Amino acid sequence: MASRVAAYVMLTLACLLTVIPLLYMVSLSLQTQGETLSGGAVLWPDSPQFQNYAQLFEQAPFGRFIVNSVVVAGAITLAHLAFDPLVGYVFAKFRFPFRNTLLVAILATLMIPFFVRMIPLYVMFSDLGWLDSYQALVLPFLMDGFGIFLMRQFIQPIPDDLIHAARVDGAGEFTIYWRIILPQTKPALAVLGLFTFVFQWNEFLWPLVATSDETMRTIPVGLTRFSEEHFQLWHLTAAGSVIAFVPTAVLLVLSQRYFVRGITLTGLK
Amino acid sequence: MRSPAPRAVPEARRTPIARREARTAYLFLAPALVFFAVFFYTPIADILNTSTLTGPHADRFDGLGNYADAFRDPAARNSFKVTLLFAVGTTVGAIVLGLALALLANRQLRGRTLFRLALLVPYLTSIAVIGLLWQNILDPQTGILNRVLDELGLPTQQWLITHPLATIVAVTLWMISGYTMMLFLAGLQGIPQVYYEAATVDGAGPWRRFFSITLPLLAPTTLFVSVMAVISGLQAFGQAYIITGGGPAKQTDLYVYHVYETAFRDRDFGYSSALSVLLMLVIVAFTVVQLRAGRRGEVQY
Repeated sequence: MASRVAAYVMLTLACLLTVIPLLYMVSLSLQTQGETLSGGAVLWPDSPQFQNYAQLFEQAPFGRFIVNSVVVAGAITLAHLAFDPLVGYVFAKFRFPFRNTLLVAILATLMIPFFVRMIPLYVMFSDLGWLDSYQALVLPFLMDGFGIFLMRQFIQPIPDDLIHAARVDGAGEFTIYWRIILPQTKPALAVLGLFTFVFQWNEFLWPLVATSDETMRTIPVGLTRFSEEHFQLWHLTAAGSVIAFVPTAVLLVLSQRYFVRGITLTGLK
Repeated sequence: MRSPAPRAVPEARRTPIARREARTAYLFLAPALVFFAVFFYTPIADILNTSTLTGPHADRFDGLGNYADAFRDPAARNSFKVTLLFAVGTTVGAIVLGLALALLANRQLRGRTLFRLALLVPYLTSIAVIGLLWQNILDPQTGILNRVLDELGLPTQQWLITHPLATIVAVTLWMISGYTMMLFLAGLQGIPQVYYEAATVDGAGPWRRFFSITLPLLAPTTLFVSVMAVISGLQAFGQAYIITGGGPAKQTDLYVYHVYETAFRDRDFGYSSALSVLLMLVIVAFTVVQLRAGRRGEVQY
């Protein structure tokens, strides 16, 4: 019993240590500039300055940053949902020459950290004149070995008989995939989509490298550059941070179970 | 991951059905094959090639010159040392904190989903948001941390000046410990309860049970978490770019940040490519160790 109470106390403490800095970020976003710069550091503003949020959109093309982030993270997520299960299905259920070689070639890319591709991709897009474009932000992340591996593992246990029976009935190959396989992968697709979106929404290094035009920045890059250029506008930087954080928070609340279940799967990454 | 090798069927005996199956497979795979060729294998070939070039336009062949330079270059060596310390610090910390939190949370508690999600939030937040937030909190003049410490009667610190590396390790632990907790929780749930019951019957106390059952049976999870944490520690970037700018005096010059500066500020693509390849080799070595050990270490209950 005593250990149970101790566990509650310690966990509550850990959660407070985790959450309080994030709440302080909300507090900063509602302070006046004077309060954020005062030596005494204000815990919570006397009168919350909601107009900080409006001011942020006047000081920087923050609306553009939001659109860019939605387009980029959204397009990448859709691509993963379209391709990862299809490719996973082929590796799980088809026999064809070089199957294992190709699978190993795709899974081996999991060992390649992004920073290795960063310089050559920059040069490639620069040669194409595609820096500061959606293509540059989206294309390098359209698929990855992890999503394909996850879907293959998930599709493998689906009985072959289902596929054979459909073939005997004369169903086309894509119809079999679309009507029989895909509907059974919904839980895995939800996890895949959720995590792809959140991680791409947060992606920092590549959008930093691939954009120099302010109007092509995603939220994390736009925010960081904004704070470099206006280091005394802490209240606005904090407001932007809260906006960057909101989608994650909403998804987390709406799909708690998928996060709890999926996070251990992402460990395979 | 191991799947039965496709039976080697002589070409003449391949049935029309098998040929149709292969055709469909390649049709479905085509976009993926193009993607991985263009956006993974071409860049790798490119970077290996660029790493042998030198000069302001990276167009003069220099063999392994860049690599030789990297081993002699005090800035590169310092950056590697700093990054290794950072990776070890975050890994040890994330294991200790993650395991401690997992042991606390691994019981029937009211609101345990809430605990877990709350601890997971920073891991799902952009490093840009986290970096900017902690930069503000740690600010020696206007930051709230020193004010809180002051009011508690504790000594204040110029965190990012006196202990810059330890400070960004701490911020990173704040970010990732909830995630390692989740991985350890999954590991703990894989340990059969009967072991604990048997040990309790035999008179083993909680510490004995932890060291004789939990820790050894958790070894595969611990190995996995360590390799994962080392690999992501070696690749950390935002902590240096946003919070410290690599300083003071290059004490937090994390490797990928160093590569970024060499490539995009100094415009030395040849040398920065060689630096990237070197870190990639280290990371690939860690991954191979993990795959080997993982195969051997599959625990039989």
